Amino acid sequence: MVQEKDQQSDEEIVAQIQLGGVDLFGVLIERYEKKMMRYARKFLSDSEDIKDVIQEVFIKAYKNIKSFDTKRKFSTWLYRIAHNELINVLKKRKTLPLFDSDVFLPHNLHDNNLVQQIDRQDMREMIDKCLDQLEPKYRETIVLYYFEELSYKEIADTMQIPISTVGIRIKRAKEKMKSIYEKLENNI
Amino acid sequence: MSNPEQKSISDAVLNKIKSKEVKMRPKYYFILRTVLTALSIFIVTLFVLYLISFIIFTLRASGIWFLPEFGFSGLKVFLTLLPWVLILIAVILIITLEIFAKRFAFVYRKPIFYSILVIIIFVLLGSFIIGKTQFHPNLFWKAQENRLPIAGKLYRDFDVNKLKEVHRGIVSEITKDGFYLEKPDGQILNIIINSNTKLLLKKENMKGDEVVIMGKEDNDIIYAAVIKGINDNMMFFKQGPINKHLKNQLQ
Repeated sequence: MVQEKDQQSDEEIVAQIQLGGVDLFGVLIERYEKKMMRYARKFLSDSEDIKDVIQEVFIKAYKNIKSFDTKRKFSTWLYRIAHNELINVLKKRKTLPLFDSDVFLPHNLHDNNLVQQIDRQDMREMIDKCLDQLEPKYRETIVLYYFEELSYKEIADTMQIPISTVGIRIKRAKEKMKSIYEKLENNI
Repeated sequence: MSNPEQKSISDAVLNKIKSKEVKMRPKYYFILRTVLTALSIFIVTLFVLYLISFIIFTLRASGIWFLPEFGFSGLKVFLTLLPWVLILIAVILIITLEIFAKRFAFVYRKPIFYSILVIIIFVLLGSFIIGKTQFHPNLFWKAQENRLPIAGKLYRDFDVNKLKEVHRGIVSEITKDGFYLEKPDGQILNIIINSNTKLLLKKENMKGDEVVIMGKEDNDIIYAAVIKGINDNMMFFKQGPINKHLKNQLQ
């Protein structure tokens, strides 16, 4: 039975939950708990805060599960809920600006996927060292792309921003991290 | 599940579900929410179309619309006479529409610049189409006759015939120092032309022509600063007292 559940996709499990298989929600929590914890940890430092946010994410996912379209990807939908929860927490702490000019104007899409695939591993090491010093909007895009391995389109759907903005944020974040990294290296 | 912290999150959520403390929202809740969103978008769209077409109507019917063609002084008066409060409300409504539209993937995946541009083009185009109909002129004249209960005050407050700086009407009679202007509400104004008056006319004999005049009013006498002949063909004039008066003259 466990093996059977392991072979099922998230979307298949959600379809069963929607039809009344409430117990299966535990399988989804098991699959995404670590990922959600890792995601939230990049923005919050207090473990109790992280726990509260993740708990709220799963509760909201359960409450709204009947609104989920099983033709779409469950992980993107769940990251969207987590993104909203984190935004609410960060806004309460006034660490997020109200308006973001990145989403207003069109940008060229920086979709050099091949290069990005190659340097994903190297980038992670560099990111870990300077992530705290990045603004939340850049930090989140970088985390979703390099750590959670979401595509540009999935990140756009999670953060509800234009796809071209995802590209420009990753590009700018890399530039910022490069200068932060160089400063760190010089200090050493 | 070896990490106790993780276990506690999973247990806490599942316990809340089992104890029915947390319940799944029914499908109809989301259907209702979608219907309400669609309805709100529809109502806001109608309202913004009404408001912008009303602004365009008041500007055209009063003659303010033509003032930028009068040069710098005309532009200055144009900016002071614009209904800024209504424009601000229209801007807020357009932003509201954008917020509603951003719920849809095909909107948020593109830069805000594009969606705002599409909304602005749509409402302006819609407003111009409404402007070609008798919708606002009908309501305007009903409001003047106190036959419009809801929006009547709006049309009376923005009465296009009461402006002191700009006047639109038909040249009814030529006088030795100017002409008489008949306004849409039937009011007759004595227009004085002097050496400082800037004339933007297509022909010498203006009788029967429609004109817009910029100039200060003093007891039904206007010392014209600029006079421009227009050919706007606005439905507004075809319904008001000015038309009834002309018809009576013909009969």
